[in-house]
Amino acid sequence: MGRLKNQLISKLFTKFPFLVERWVKKAAPWKAQDIPWAPLTKPVKDCKIALATTAGVHLKSQKPFNMKDPNGDPTFREIPRDTPKGQFIITHDYYDHKDADKDINIVFPIDRLKELKERGEIADIAEINFGFMGHIDGGHIYTLINGTAQEVAEKLRAQGVDAVLLTPG
Amino acid sequence: MCNRSVGLIQREIEKYGIPTISISIVRKFTEEIKPPRAVFLKWPLGHPLGEPFNIKQQAIVLKKALEALTDIKEPGTIRDLPYRWRRYEDLEK
Repeated sequence: MGRLKNQLISKLFTKFPFLVERWVKKAAPWKAQDIPWAPLTKPVKDCKIALATTAGVHLKSQKPFNMKDPNGDPTFREIPRDTPKGQFIITHDYYDHKDADKDINIVFPIDRLKELKERGEIADIAEINFGFMGHIDGGHIYTLINGTAQEVAEKLRAQGVDAVLLTPG
Repeated sequence: MCNRSVGLIQREIEKYGIPTISISIVRKFTEEIKPPRAVFLKWPLGHPLGEPFNIKQQAIVLKKALEALTDIKEPGTIRDLPYRWRRYEDLEK
């Protein structure tokens, strides 16, 4: 029943944008203080770029994100650069992803990135990119910032990634 | 919540010394989380790069995001992109 309710709300959000604004106003604020900063030290055309999304993207062969926990799921899935088109799936009940189901690029622009690489506008794409499911609340927020997000940062560094593009759902 | 989680993950990656850029579609969450760099579009949830199979639109948003990666010099900058939802004439800007 919980999943159906969340899926219904997400459809209403797409249909009536004013509902999103009302929900955003009511959401508890999360105030950050300092701003981390790592300047880009070379031109984008010389960079190896990675994607990280919270749109719930993963492979059909991987375990879906947990949709039963009301606080969400702070885990991530590794998405290889050369994943065949038909292998993507989205598990995320908190936004309406029927358009992204048709074309994954609107939340995970892997094909657009490959075109940039072909044209020499970027040097390379990370072999492994990362999928999260962005509904993360309660104690899972701390698992994310102290655990899984740092784990992903380490994996990005190990691949020699120069810059990361992050996209929401 | 997706927009909030994006910022939280982004901050951790940047702390590891890797420059990051995010696309935001909920400005308030991005303002609160303070990621190092973001571009903002007032577009529906689930559509940070636009509409399915609109390759031109998706490519423009991607290009603008990567430009912001280089251009933004002030930590915490959120750059508003001038594209209204489904107003295709804006893409010529």
